[in-house]
Amino acid sequence: MAPRRNQLAVLLALVTAIFMGLALFLSKGTQLLMPGPLTSGHGAIESCNACHTKSGSNKLSWLHGLAAADPLADSKACLTCHKMPATAFNPHGASAEVLGQSTKRLTKIAAGSIAPRSAIAQSVAFPMKDVIAGGLYCATCHQEHQGIRFNLNKISNEQCRSCHVVKFDSFDGHHPDFQNYPFERRTRIIYDHASHFGKHYPDLAKKDPAKSIPSTCAACHNSNADRRVMATAPFDQTCSSCHLGQILGKERVSGPKGIAFLTLPGLDVETLKKKNAAIGEWPDASDTALTPFMKMMINRNEQGRGLVKAVDGLNLHDLANASDDQIKAVTNLVWEIKGLFHALIKEKASDVLGNLNVDGRAKLSAALIADLAAGIPRDAVIGAQQEWLPNLATEMAGGPVTPPKELPGPDAPQAIPEPIQPDAVSEAAAETGTAEAGAETEDVEAKLAAATETLCAEKAAPPEDAAAESATAEAEPDGGEEMPSTDEESLAEIKGRVPLPTGTPRAIKAQIEDAEAGTAEAKPEGGRETLCAEESPRAETEAQAKNAAGESDTAQAETEGGIEAPSADQQPPGNTTEQFDDLLFPTGSEKAGQPEEAEAASQADGNTPPDAPPASNTTPVDPQIQAAPVTGIESDVDPETWAEYGGWYRQDYTIYYRPTGHKDKFIQSWLVLTGPQAPKGGTSPAAAVFDYLTSKDAQGSCKKCHSVDDIRGKARVVNFSPASVQSKQGRFTNFIHEPHMGIMDNRGCLTCHSLEKSSPYLKSYEQGNPGKFSASFGAVKKELCQTCHTSGEARQDCLLCHKYHVNGAATPIMNTKIPAQ
Amino acid sequence: MRSRASGISIGGRSPGPAGYLISRIVQGLLIAAISGGLFWLVWVYANGLRDPRYLDGWVLAGGMAMQVSFQIAKAVGLSPKSALRWRKMHIFVGYLVIAAFISHSDFTLPDSGFEWALWMGFVLVVLSGIFGTYLAWSQRAKGRIDDGVSYDCIPALRAELELAFLRAIAETDPSAAAIDLPGLPHDAWITDLYATHLGDFFQGHRNVTAHLIGSQRPLKRLTDAIDNLSHYVDQHRQAKLAYIKTLVIEKDRLDFARVSLGLARGWLFVHVPVTYALIVLTVLHIFVVYAFSSGVW
Repeated sequence: MAPRRNQLAVLLALVTAIFMGLALFLSKGTQLLMPGPLTSGHGAIESCNACHTKSGSNKLSWLHGLAAADPLADSKACLTCHKMPATAFNPHGASAEVLGQSTKRLTKIAAGSIAPRSAIAQSVAFPMKDVIAGGLYCATCHQEHQGIRFNLNKISNEQCRSCHVVKFDSFDGHHPDFQNYPFERRTRIIYDHASHFGKHYPDLAKKDPAKSIPSTCAACHNSNADRRVMATAPFDQTCSSCHLGQILGKERVSGPKGIAFLTLPGLDVETLKKKNAAIGEWPDASDTALTPFMKMMINRNEQGRGLVKAVDGLNLHDLANASDDQIKAVTNLVWEIKGLFHALIKEKASDVLGNLNVDGRAKLSAALIADLAAGIPRDAVIGAQQEWLPNLATEMAGGPVTPPKELPGPDAPQAIPEPIQPDAVSEAAAETGTAEAGAETEDVEAKLAAATETLCAEKAAPPEDAAAESATAEAEPDGGEEMPSTDEESLAEIKGRVPLPTGTPRAIKAQIEDAEAGTAEAKPEGGRETLCAEESPRAETEAQAKNAAGESDTAQAETEGGIEAPSADQQPPGNTTEQFDDLLFPTGSEKAGQPEEAEAASQADGNTPPDAPPASNTTPVDPQIQAAPVTGIESDVDPETWAEYGGWYRQDYTIYYRPTGHKDKFIQSWLVLTGPQAPKGGTSPAAAVFDYLTSKDAQGSCKKCHSVDDIRGKARVVNFSPASVQSKQGRFTNFIHEPHMGIMDNRGCLTCHSLEKSSPYLKSYEQGNPGKFSASFGAVKKELCQTCHTSGEARQDCLLCHKYHVNGAATPIMNTKIPAQ
Repeated sequence: MRSRASGISIGGRSPGPAGYLISRIVQGLLIAAISGGLFWLVWVYANGLRDPRYLDGWVLAGGMAMQVSFQIAKAVGLSPKSALRWRKMHIFVGYLVIAAFISHSDFTLPDSGFEWALWMGFVLVVLSGIFGTYLAWSQRAKGRIDDGVSYDCIPALRAELELAFLRAIAETDPSAAAIDLPGLPHDAWITDLYATHLGDFFQGHRNVTAHLIGSQRPLKRLTDAIDNLSHYVDQHRQAKLAYIKTLVIEKDRLDFARVSLGLARGWLFVHVPVTYALIVLTVLHIFVVYAFSSGVW
């Protein structure tokens, strides 16, 4: 019997083996070997090697898995769909640093806690070191093939406990006490609840009973948008009624309400002149300092960086004791500033700002540049340049222009500049280097004569200086002449609406043309032409003018033609202070009723705007009459007040920007740009900008409410937004307010959050470490939560309040290629 | 033929009913304790972020290997005493293997074809094993099979009984011939009883189903018929009927022995071959598990 039975047994075993082999080969793929269905979320996965990377796709290729497996490779397959950061295989997906800190902190707590016996048994019998040593794989916790409805995220409390140094039985048992929960750092938005509730609101209620004051916590806080965060309502809904004025600067009692952006810093011009520093023209009256923004812009290249360094610490207003090198540095700085203005006009503001070269980045994004520039109008810069550095183009083309003895300041009475006679101007400029404008008064002539005398003296200087000087305009801009530029592009662009001084290259070119045409004629009387005794007229001046204008530009200038000066009998209507814009200024033909001349003038110079002032034979304008921008409209409103609600304005020797309101993009963008390069105590231009915008009295008052965090002593960041879901990434706990709202008693939020009136909350913000703080509210105690979260009542499993993947896992959209046509 | 009293253990001295009960209770508690310990150990293993199926899987595999070694030992040759001990151990480990299997399957039914094959194989082996254990116990407990009665000698014993019965039927009363007056046809009645009830009974193995289910009704029917007839016959015939009754009881016991011993042979035709098939499936299962394990166990 036994042998028969054994024979039957062997036979059955063989049949089983054959049957299994057949079943395997006849079945689809290796589905036969699957230990169980996948969960619903993975139900679409058909191929085993989608997750089991070593299994291959053949019937028998799965045998490769018997060799040394790579569990990490299989876990990486999970990341194909479940995107996680690079620390995905660390415990909790947290960085090693965070884990180290947590472990260190919890080890101290563990020393005083009693571990359950099962935890001790597990740690002795099956220690965790081996499991964690190679990294925590996905399959360690997420066991698949357990059916469609299986919950892959299900982890028991004991499993959670296995890794932790603190081992306890349950939440209502020996869970460690909360450590200052929920506060991990100071609030990003500075809001002292105690002072607002105790002082500001009551004071405001007394002062202005009609004003809306929050009466409940829900007036400012709610979690409707995202249950995970008790969000703060936006500024416009909560704080603007009291704080908007501060941002706009309305409540500012001292100092400018706008941010000084561009300026001509005050220099010790006298000392520079004494030391023969060739700074060209520079206003004496300016007493502003170089703005940090300009330092940053100057700092954008190697040369600028050197300059900023060289002059840092120098008192530019007093250079009496400055060394020669420092004087040279200041001189170079002057030209760098001039170059900056020139670039801002000649190029685009975005080009200058796009190449700030902060933190090594070559180019900033278009959006950031737009915010950095805040729509600064080019005309504002042009206007500033024409007022402050009228000879900028000439100087940039040919070198410094000797400034006149006296230059009117921005507040000086503005005289009417006479239209420029290009022939007279060009000859005069060529011969004498003196800019001449039509003058009708003896004073003007006297002044002109004096200026000429000076110029003649300067002409005795070395030839290159003379050539340069001869080409540049010394006179102030007169009424109606455009500022000639060195090349066609400049000529085309810089057609300001303000009168241009004589002696400028363009004027000189016009004079040259007239001279060639034989129409130009120097008229010493009336100051139209100034000749030094030793100078010969015309030919020589032509040559010099050509040199001055620049050889490369001469052809263009000649092609373009000069601007014809208005005719002698054509007087500019009205006061120069009122007639400064060429659009407003009547044309020569309009004034003199000479259409032929105007037409001829326009034909001669194809680029001349049709309404450009015609040439005239008026005498050169005295430098003192060089006018500030003339609006022609009297107003008591100063520029700062004019920009009451934000925007750009010019005042003194500075272009200001006034914040437009909360979330001002200009301020925000500069802070965002400079913060990474602005450690506390830093001396870089970026740090200077950052310090400027975050100082106690800074315009915009950003730092009043937005905290500034120090980033490891290397950078600083302004917290523009309150806590959000993104900011909560990396936290080990999660709490949803909503389920708790229905069970609070009359105390409501104060049930869990007790206001600490005596907490030195604001002191937290006197330093940059967000981890050192005093909260406005008391920490939530574990015992409070235990009143409900206990066995038999509310849930108390680990996953209720703690999440494992602290940085989350996202399923990105797939990269579907657009189907080809 | 002797009848065995129940409660006599197989081999060795009998501990008595109380002792038997105690030993069974102790055995049960031991199995429960070891099983509980296994479940606890698997739970602790799982708490250590390890897959517990690897632990209880190898416990199960080890248990199955021990069970198979009994078959190997039998094939090698064992003394009766050793065979008894092996058998005891086999049954004891078998209960533990059941616990390991329940732990390994996580107290759930399988949900794939291959797993169903494994599950059914194991369940068949287990059930057949439990049946065989019960059979052995019931044979000992009910004592209806004499020692020395084996399955192979049952036909010979049945033939002896049949012969004895026929002799008893054929035997007549010698004193009846001396009486002139016609007597009552008692022998005829007995012969009639033979013809209607007993003749067929003794000719072969009867009442298999009744013996399978442990029913005594067929036997009672026969003995009642004999008892009924004995009221109407004389003393001599009553003695005869009593003897026939003992033969009928013996024959019934033989039939029971045949069924019981037949089952005792038959269940092994399920238990052993299915075990072999299960071993094939188990080896394949181990290969597959480790091939797809990704190193996590």
